[in-house]
Amino acid sequence: MVFSSIPFLFFFLPFCLILYYAVPYKANNPYVWKNVVLLLFSLIFYAWGEPVYILLMFFATAVDYCNGRLMERFGSTKGRRRFFLICSVAINLSVLAFFKYADFLIATLNGLFSLSIKPLGLGLPVGISFFTFQTMSYSIDLYRKQVPMEKSYLNYLAYVSMFPQLVAGPIVRYSVVNEELRERLIKREEVEEGLLRFMQGLFKKVLIANQAGGLWEEIRQLEMGQASVATAWLGASAFTLQLYFDFSAYSDMAIGMGRMLGFHFPENFNYPLSSVSVTDFWRRWHISLSTWFRDYVYIPLGGNRKGVARHLRNMLVVWFLTGLWHGASWNFVLWGLYYGVLLALEKYVWGKALNALPKVCRHLYAILIVVVGFVIFVFDDMGALGNYFRAMAGCAGNRLWGEECLWYLRNYKAVLAAAAVLAFPVYPWVKKRAEALGDKGRAAVSLLSMFGYLLLFAVTTAFLVNDTYNPFLYFRF
Amino acid sequence: MEKRVCGASTNLICAKICAEMGLKMENERTLEKYIRGLTAGMLGGMVVALAIGFFFMEKREFSENENRYLAKLPSFGLEKVQSGEYMKDLETYLADHFPFRDFFMGMKTKAETSVGKKEVNGIYMAEDGYLIEKYEKPENTEKIGRILKDFAGELEGQDVELRLMLVPTAVYVYEDKLPDYAPVRNQMETADRIYKSSGILPIDCSGDLMEHKEEGELYYKTDHHWTTFGAYIGYQAYCREMGLDAVPIEEMDARIVTEDFCGTVYSKAGDYGREGDAITVYTNPADCLTVEYKDTGEITDSLYNLEYVEAKDKYSLFLDNLHPLIEITNETAVSDRELVLVKDSYANSMVPFLVHHYKKIYVFDTRYYKQGVSEFIREHKNVSDVLVLYNMNTLDGDLGIRGVY
Repeated sequence: MVFSSIPFLFFFLPFCLILYYAVPYKANNPYVWKNVVLLLFSLIFYAWGEPVYILLMFFATAVDYCNGRLMERFGSTKGRRRFFLICSVAINLSVLAFFKYADFLIATLNGLFSLSIKPLGLGLPVGISFFTFQTMSYSIDLYRKQVPMEKSYLNYLAYVSMFPQLVAGPIVRYSVVNEELRERLIKREEVEEGLLRFMQGLFKKVLIANQAGGLWEEIRQLEMGQASVATAWLGASAFTLQLYFDFSAYSDMAIGMGRMLGFHFPENFNYPLSSVSVTDFWRRWHISLSTWFRDYVYIPLGGNRKGVARHLRNMLVVWFLTGLWHGASWNFVLWGLYYGVLLALEKYVWGKALNALPKVCRHLYAILIVVVGFVIFVFDDMGALGNYFRAMAGCAGNRLWGEECLWYLRNYKAVLAAAAVLAFPVYPWVKKRAEALGDKGRAAVSLLSMFGYLLLFAVTTAFLVNDTYNPFLYFRF
Repeated sequence: MEKRVCGASTNLICAKICAEMGLKMENERTLEKYIRGLTAGMLGGMVVALAIGFFFMEKREFSENENRYLAKLPSFGLEKVQSGEYMKDLETYLADHFPFRDFFMGMKTKAETSVGKKEVNGIYMAEDGYLIEKYEKPENTEKIGRILKDFAGELEGQDVELRLMLVPTAVYVYEDKLPDYAPVRNQMETADRIYKSSGILPIDCSGDLMEHKEEGELYYKTDHHWTTFGAYIGYQAYCREMGLDAVPIEEMDARIVTEDFCGTVYSKAGDYGREGDAITVYTNPADCLTVEYKDTGEITDSLYNLEYVEAKDKYSLFLDNLHPLIEITNETAVSDRELVLVKDSYANSMVPFLVHHYKKIYVFDTRYYKQGVSEFIREHKNVSDVLVLYNMNTLDGDLGIRGVY
């Protein structure tokens, strides 16, 4: 079930929330019923698309839960604790490797040694990359004695499977929510703000990400040899906007739903497309993933404290893994390494020079790198990737400019304009200005945004209803 | 352990107090907070209201606007749940019966056109009130050529005149009406490729349509078919190529049977509120017809079923919509020749002109006729002509042509 769909928005979510608020607090363990409701709905949510893989979820959580208990029970020495940690990490990574990377490995081996091992053809379990990383965070933090052991399997399963963040993050670490799992305040204002945040995400996803995605789909279907350079760049920009708005909208919706349930998930995006450098970009893009790699891979490897050579090696490892995490295909690895190299260059070669440039130039520099990066990200076929880059560079004798580009601009100008504006922190800026106006100004802004919310909600619903309309008109003609 | 229980219960009390405080504090909320709360309440209320509406509003079986049957509530079964099929069907059901569906569908198109979109759901918002269906990238050109070549091969040795007529749609003929910069793929280039690879003698009416486009409407503004006038131009091209004397259109009885035909393209675009088209039907008073629908066994003397004038899909009045095989006999035809017509719905409005020239016309819809047309031709020695007629837009996607061979 996707958040931006009729079944989720109009049926699943309201049912879940009503039940969640309706169940009573229990005297000695007040949130147990609410956690039960949450767990139940999360399991339905997970099973909706992947009924079979729900067993995998039980398995993965049971492993880490038991490991945690064993670590506390028998882990009197560091060595013993480490043993249980290694068990947990090894099992998690094996599960991830088996379900996500086995076919990739097989294809690579087949290619390298001209073998013909049959691919397993397993479907990718939804959210596996997210929930294995979450459960690992628990084991590692427990090993480091940074979090207390979770005694209740119910709570643990409710944490890992929690539907708002199950499919597309943010990667919520156990340490962030372990207290809220037992005790949380569900305040009216939090619920309201959470709902508004969810709606913002919904509008972003349906009205901007999906539309930008439509433009990208149109352009990627063109014969790249004949497309103009401008069109190729427009396509790459459209995909960049689609990816950012899609992904950040999911985080908005997750964070919003979290607040409605009484949880506080970490922010995952901070206007990454308004970055001034690659380093800046990765502080703003998918924050929960980059901090995960920083805390659990980069720093344990020594970070930047053990000399330049070690630092470069660490960066390479981290960015290789970051790339691979995004998908089982070489283009993702390439995409990760592309950033690894650029970050190293910024750190050791042109970082200082860059900072001296005017801000506009730095914005341009960053966005250029990001857009080119996402072209690598989107094509898992290296041949198609090459063709697209050739079109962007005009190498295949492409015209600089073409009528088709005007057509796309004409059709998508509203979406592109809205996306370009919202990629920058305009909303916080308006809020700040309003605050300067005092109570009346703030009230006026909130009244205006009320009409905005209502209008956008109606339009979003219209798009959702239309979405499922597969024109199959000819069967009766 | 004891401490935790204690902590939890303090917290519980806290929560209760806060809940009460929340009520009390409401008066003290700033106006901004109050409006934000109101906004959230209204949004939540709308979600719940629409969900309730779904349960209590009457469910429609058929959507007039979209011209299709809506999904039925899927039956529950363990296997279907396991495969995920049940959930998919349920999602379709929820969307199909969503409250005010037509209103929302229209609203989506309004929202898109009002921000300058000139193409909605694959339909161009063209000039002069035309809604013109886009020509998608053809994917099956080679396959279609091969199928037709095989079909022609089967007829070798038979004494029949075989022709292939691929009719362009509005997107080709009315290219000048398309919005500025709209990307156009040339349908007739695809058609030429099919003509060549199939090896069948072509009848190209695209030039004729271009030539006569100032004389009248060749295509409906709200439907993907050509008008009966367009079909007449196609018929003229056919007669010229086959050496027949086309009946002048003035000699036929023309009759407007409806003026509010809102066709497929109208439904697809979702721009409701546009005016409908008129349908003119032509009859030749000299013809004396028997029309036999082989699947139902029904026999009439008219090529039109005017009951469809009251329905939504009014184009179905031509040859009573879909039938695998129709046998049309004209006692007063100008020759004893017999024609096998393998076709899609474009031909349905051309048949009224063709009947004058053939004693018998066998009309095949190969999506439904599965016994093999070439077999039929071998068994009917009187068949002297075979015409394969498709329009360029549905040819590629529909693949009814697969049934030819």
